[in-house]
Amino acid sequence: MLRFQSFGLVLVTVLAAVSTTLVLLQPVEPQDGLQYWTFDRSHAQVASAAAANWNPRHPDLPVRVTTLTGPTLLTRMLSGFYSDTPVGDMIEVERGQIGQVFAGPVQDIGFVDLTDRIDRDGLRAAINAPSLSPWSLHGRNYGLPHDVHPTMLLYRSDLVEAAGIDVRQIETWDDYFRVMRPLFRDHDGDGRPDTYLLNTSPTNMGAHEVMLLQAGGGMFDAAGQPVLNSEINVRTVARMVVWMAGPNRMTADAPVSGPSAIKLAGEGYMLAFLAPDWFAGAIKKELPNLAGKLKFMPLPAWERGGRRTSVLGGTMVGITKACRQPDEAWAFIKHLYFAPETARRLYATFCIVSPIKSNWSLACYDEPDPYFSGQPVGRLFLNLAGDVPERIPSPFYASATTVLSAAIVGSCRHVDRHGITDPAAVEPEVRRRLDAAQAELLGIMQRNVFVAGRAP
Amino acid sequence: MSARPSANPLDRLGRLLLYAILGSLAILTLLPFIWMACAAVKTEAAFFTSQFLPRGDGWLGIAWEDLTLRQFRRLFTEFPIGRALLHSVFFASVCSLGATLFCAAGGYALAKFRFRGRGLITTAILGTVVLPSSLLLGPGFEMLYHLGLVDTYAGVILPAITPAFGLYLFRQAMLNSVPSDILESARIDGAGELRIFFQIVLPIVRPMISAYLIIAFIGTWNNFITPQIILQSPERHPLAVAIFNLRGLYGSEYSLIMAGTLVAIAPVMVLFLLLQKEFISGLTSGAVKG
Repeated sequence: MLRFQSFGLVLVTVLAAVSTTLVLLQPVEPQDGLQYWTFDRSHAQVASAAAANWNPRHPDLPVRVTTLTGPTLLTRMLSGFYSDTPVGDMIEVERGQIGQVFAGPVQDIGFVDLTDRIDRDGLRAAINAPSLSPWSLHGRNYGLPHDVHPTMLLYRSDLVEAAGIDVRQIETWDDYFRVMRPLFRDHDGDGRPDTYLLNTSPTNMGAHEVMLLQAGGGMFDAAGQPVLNSEINVRTVARMVVWMAGPNRMTADAPVSGPSAIKLAGEGYMLAFLAPDWFAGAIKKELPNLAGKLKFMPLPAWERGGRRTSVLGGTMVGITKACRQPDEAWAFIKHLYFAPETARRLYATFCIVSPIKSNWSLACYDEPDPYFSGQPVGRLFLNLAGDVPERIPSPFYASATTVLSAAIVGSCRHVDRHGITDPAAVEPEVRRRLDAAQAELLGIMQRNVFVAGRAP
Repeated sequence: MSARPSANPLDRLGRLLLYAILGSLAILTLLPFIWMACAAVKTEAAFFTSQFLPRGDGWLGIAWEDLTLRQFRRLFTEFPIGRALLHSVFFASVCSLGATLFCAAGGYALAKFRFRGRGLITTAILGTVVLPSSLLLGPGFEMLYHLGLVDTYAGVILPAITPAFGLYLFRQAMLNSVPSDILESARIDGAGELRIFFQIVLPIVRPMISAYLIIAFIGTWNNFITPQIILQSPERHPLAVAIFNLRGLYGSEYSLIMAGTLVAIAPVMVLFLLLQKEFISGLTSGAVKG
């Protein structure tokens, strides 16, 4: 008998022996065929259903779907691209991560250029045009779009209608804040508002981007150059900051990507959200007791006759250069993304509408949704799909977001300090801060020898 | 010897006050766990509408109809949580056993053997203790890749069985607790080095073995980064990674995630409760010299 044994040691030894035996007895999953990597369970379910249909017809080259978390997928994908570690044959990439894919020299982008395949197969006209833009660099397409993600205004119709407000009188953002102002109030008399009018705040970059894109602004121009201090950005930010700060503040923080938006919608703390199609699916799932209390309307425009939608988020699928059978991979991703069954599944799971125009006639999009007071939500989003703003991808997307956010936060602080309510009064400060942000971003960009054109 | 209750009323009052403060702190510490347990048994509809248990007309003012074990059933039927649980037990038990054995052996060698470069090795080990583990991920991954160990169980286990912290901990324990005279006597009596190690040294540092075993077990159980980076196949993932994968891009099922977290916490909590005496005695051994 060993004299150093203890109950703990015996217990852990038994656990080790039993678990090792069970692990060794586990069947080994085959690793042959084409590897399809995705970062979301619902995407994986759709891809697996397509693979189940595909594999019996391609027994020599079956598709295996693997789900990796977003950061893991990004790390492994970039490792694969730059140092030849094992990488999937087809990979789904989220909008926030695509900049890193495009960070090096163009010839070293790890995805196959799909431009010629798209044109050869006549697919360009079949895809909603703005939905291709985030996955294209210098006019070349590196992925097929998974979605459109048009954005509308999701509002608490029960509160609005109880106040006798008719949303049809709202055309612009100024109309919106004027008409809805009576609902921005302190119900319990504690001196603090209990209902805010919109989910945007000084640090909610997702909401800022939605609004800048809708206004016709953004962070980069078509050539990939930063335009943070463009005139349209200055004017738009100046109007936004007086809603988010100062004596006329009417908005509060609740990013739609987190649980707070769901919670605050349920409590009536937030009257309306900048809501892409996927948020409709999320809120429907999480807050069944709000059925019949929510409705969608197009985003109010910045100017009369202006754009009534924007875009938030997105995913593409690309074929990696490591793939040994790119033709078969191309056939599979077309089979997956273009199939009406995929469109139906995406809509049924998360209200996501398809970027493939031939799928827009599916009956599911026209079905009235009792959760949203009988609105045909799919059709409402699709009516705006063609008007979704184009997004220019950049390796410096994350840096641009950071410096822009700092400029907006600084402008809000200025509005708070000086009690400003008029956008015109804050414009010089916004311009000064956006100029500084632009200069900072240009400095960051100049340090990248590949992008600055100084590569050896 | 048990302490006799004090007869002094001031002492009693002081003790009462102390217990009241400790009790309040204990409740404060437990609050997140209570919240998590409540969240795990609530329906999706009740998750966002109630802080702890959903209020209703049922017994104790609770809406019992809004409580369910459905998420636990889903975890084991719709998701590979059972397999992940097995992997967590496998990694934690094998790594903690290996780490304890190798750290004890390494620590013993550094403490009791004189050889060229001993000081340098000890300094190097101490140096790696202060390096953040995230700094070693890149070079570690590259090394495992060149050894063909990426996406293998060995890729997770091998780097975990000789942690610098454990080596240094056992070196200090050996220096403080194992008298060199005993080792010399054993050698004079003809005992071999392995016999000395297993029959003399390890029994002396037995409290440290138990304590380190638990530290290593819990450390491996909670390790998220290494398996996340090294193991590419989801069928090899342990609980920490599998639960992280329950998050969704467009929305997360929070009740499900809380149920998963509860499943992940429960085994180590039970283990710790079973072994807490050994753990505490290991940490306090040598604290008081008689």
